[in-house]
Amino acid sequence: MTPHTLTPAVVRRGSSAQTRVALIRPKKPLRWITTAAVAAAVVGLHAVAIEGTDFKPELLVDGWKGMAAFIGDAFPPDLSWEKTLKPGLEATLVTLWIGLLGTTLSVPFALLLAALAAENTSPHRLVYQAARAVLSFFRAVPDIVFALIFVTAVGLGPFAGVLALICHNTGVMGKLWAESMEEIDAGPQEALRTAGANRIQQVANATLPMVVPQFVGLLLYRFDVNVRSSLVLGLVGAGGIGLLINQSIKSFQFDSMLTHILIVLVLIIVVDQFSAWIRRRLAA
Amino acid sequence: MLLSVQGLRKSFNGRNVLEGVDFSVAAGELVAFLGANGSGKSTTLRCVMGITSPDSGSIRIDGAALDSLQGRELQQTRQRMAMIFQKIHLVPRRTALDNVCAGALSRIPTVRSLTPLLFPADVQQEALDCLDRVGLADRAFDRVGRLSGGQQQRVAVARALCQRADVVLADEPVSALDPHAAEQVMALLRELAHSEGLAVAAVLHQPDLALRYADRSIGLLQGSMTFDLPSTEITAEHLDTLYAPDRNPSVDRTQAA
Repeated sequence: MTPHTLTPAVVRRGSSAQTRVALIRPKKPLRWITTAAVAAAVVGLHAVAIEGTDFKPELLVDGWKGMAAFIGDAFPPDLSWEKTLKPGLEATLVTLWIGLLGTTLSVPFALLLAALAAENTSPHRLVYQAARAVLSFFRAVPDIVFALIFVTAVGLGPFAGVLALICHNTGVMGKLWAESMEEIDAGPQEALRTAGANRIQQVANATLPMVVPQFVGLLLYRFDVNVRSSLVLGLVGAGGIGLLINQSIKSFQFDSMLTHILIVLVLIIVVDQFSAWIRRRLAA
Repeated sequence: MLLSVQGLRKSFNGRNVLEGVDFSVAAGELVAFLGANGSGKSTTLRCVMGITSPDSGSIRIDGAALDSLQGRELQQTRQRMAMIFQKIHLVPRRTALDNVCAGALSRIPTVRSLTPLLFPADVQQEALDCLDRVGLADRAFDRVGRLSGGQQQRVAVARALCQRADVVLADEPVSALDPHAAEQVMALLRELAHSEGLAVAAVLHQPDLALRYADRSIGLLQGSMTFDLPSTEITAEHLDTLYAPDRNPSVDRTQAA
């Protein structure tokens, strides 16, 4: 037995007829000091961060007129069909397609890399490390940077956006999938190993079927995120509604901008509801 | 003897878990392992199965010592043993039939085992026969997650049968089951031993089940065997040495050491 460093908390008092356990909390004097140190560190970090970001709320107060003018110009939203609504809806569909293809076309790459980058399915330690490195790279490069690179290769337009999302999403989804595979109950895989199944058979017949619900949930979540990302990609020329928002700001048509943003709002809500509905059905 | 084990030793971090375990199981026999938590029952089975590698000891299947075999021959001999787990370890989202087919994976080419849709027809038929032997042919196309615990454990037994194992090692096969399901699974294991000639070794936590179903019971205490007797000869004193060792002065001394 290892000796206890704390004083025993249980002491019996009183006569033998009526004894009670006395409540004596073990004293931990260091706890106060560590709590104070952590609090001081957090406050200090925030002070540095406020300094580093030129965080000056008074500027916001002084600049209210500019914002009011901007918002005033945006109202009422421009609802003319030919000029704003029709192109807005068409571009929104393009945004949705970018998000859809960017998600689904990254599935095979993410699946392969996830299987190689999960400890319980990876064939070798070196393969595991290499797959982790590849995933980290695709995750570390923002999708907007991929978009700029692909615009130089395939020109302005939605195709560059799809390629950018495929790259970035492979990194993120591969990591999320690898983690959910590592968290899964290892029992069925062990059972198949003792039955003489090889590694690929174990993964295909135990690990993967076990994680299907988690995989689909994460896939829907990424679809949701990717539709929103493809908006931002539009700002750098990768097509879709983001491009229209950018154009309407640059040409000072803030009422059109507001219309586009409202369409986006509807799109986001629809996508969100859709993935929530699928996840509910999966859980049932 | 279909399975014979001699001098099995295993230590974890300098702590001796198995201190020389010798036993054998004949074809057609159900043998129970009894003992308190930490007595080494499960480690014994896991060492025999090769999930844990023992420090020393010899394991023979049908006379062939595992450590004298290599490569394909070793793999084929090992596959004559199948394991049943306390936590069942089936894939809940797949059908009973697909789970049973997985027992035959070592006989299926890798490309045909990527999805159940590609499993060969003869394997599927054999799996259905195995489900029939455990009395669950009518549930073949139900998802395992929708079956009761007892039914799931019987599907796991069918998977072992589909592996064509003739030695079945069951690690607490009924600990997670309600009493009725436990009786059913024990009756199934006994029947497989008696009428199909399998050698079955089961770790059990309920001595009464062992005494009623097992042909022979082996008692383990702190990694050593205390008895290996026909179940009919086991007395309350035998069980006391396993589960209440502090009442036994000779054991007290070893614990203090």
